[in-house]
Amino acid sequence: MWPVRRQLDSRFERLDPETGPDWDDRLIRELYNEFGGPLLRQVRQTTGNDLQWAEDVVQETLLRAWRNAAKLTWERGLLWAWLLTVSRRIVIDGRRRRGVRPREVEPPEADSIAVPDDADKTLAAIVVADALRGLSADHREVIEQTYLRDRTVNEAAAILGIPPGTVKSRLYYALRSLRGVLKERGVAS
Amino acid sequence: MSESSHLEVAAYALGVLDDGDVEAFERHLDACERCRQELKTMSELPGLLDGVKSSSERAN
Repeated sequence: MWPVRRQLDSRFERLDPETGPDWDDRLIRELYNEFGGPLLRQVRQTTGNDLQWAEDVVQETLLRAWRNAAKLTWERGLLWAWLLTVSRRIVIDGRRRRGVRPREVEPPEADSIAVPDDADKTLAAIVVADALRGLSADHREVIEQTYLRDRTVNEAAAILGIPPGTVKSRLYYALRSLRGVLKERGVAS
Repeated sequence: MSESSHLEVAAYALGVLDDGDVEAFERHLDACERCRQELKTMSELPGLLDGVKSSSERAN
């Protein structure tokens, strides 16, 4: 497992475990102060604005960070990226347990990516939907069959009848092209 | 680690890597600067995809 390093990131170094018995409490509080707000905003997008659920997800995510103290040595950007992946896994697991699926209907045709309706016509959503359509069919398919349907790589591989490794590599190149397009259009940084 | 480990960063960023693969990839991440950089650049994509996903949820 992860070697727990003594040297914590500067944000946390004043929280040296040897400086007091309530180190754990202070560390959790510090994580909330640093990441709680932004994380909640991100998670609420994924939970469909179910605030109670989003708060539970944030709490569980920060608890996992606390249990993986080695991660706290990472620089902020990387730690943030890690917190996001953890929160997404928790949401996906939660959806499974609740049996909630974003879409019950199967067929991932080329046009199954929703065009946002009037109320949702944020520029970003339109640009993203458009960029997805611009991807190759293989690339679009793996994004749809994993992230957009809350399925893991192995589940998507079974449905698509291709090896998990192929799903992983297609996802990789798909995300790279997607990011390239979104960056060009000023939506991604 | 093989080249295929690097490719897992996308599935990891989306949170769709299976549990059994997550721990191994995180060990890889701890040793691979290239993947750490890629993870950061990919980490805003799930949030952008959520916009498309939530509109399709409401649409159905």
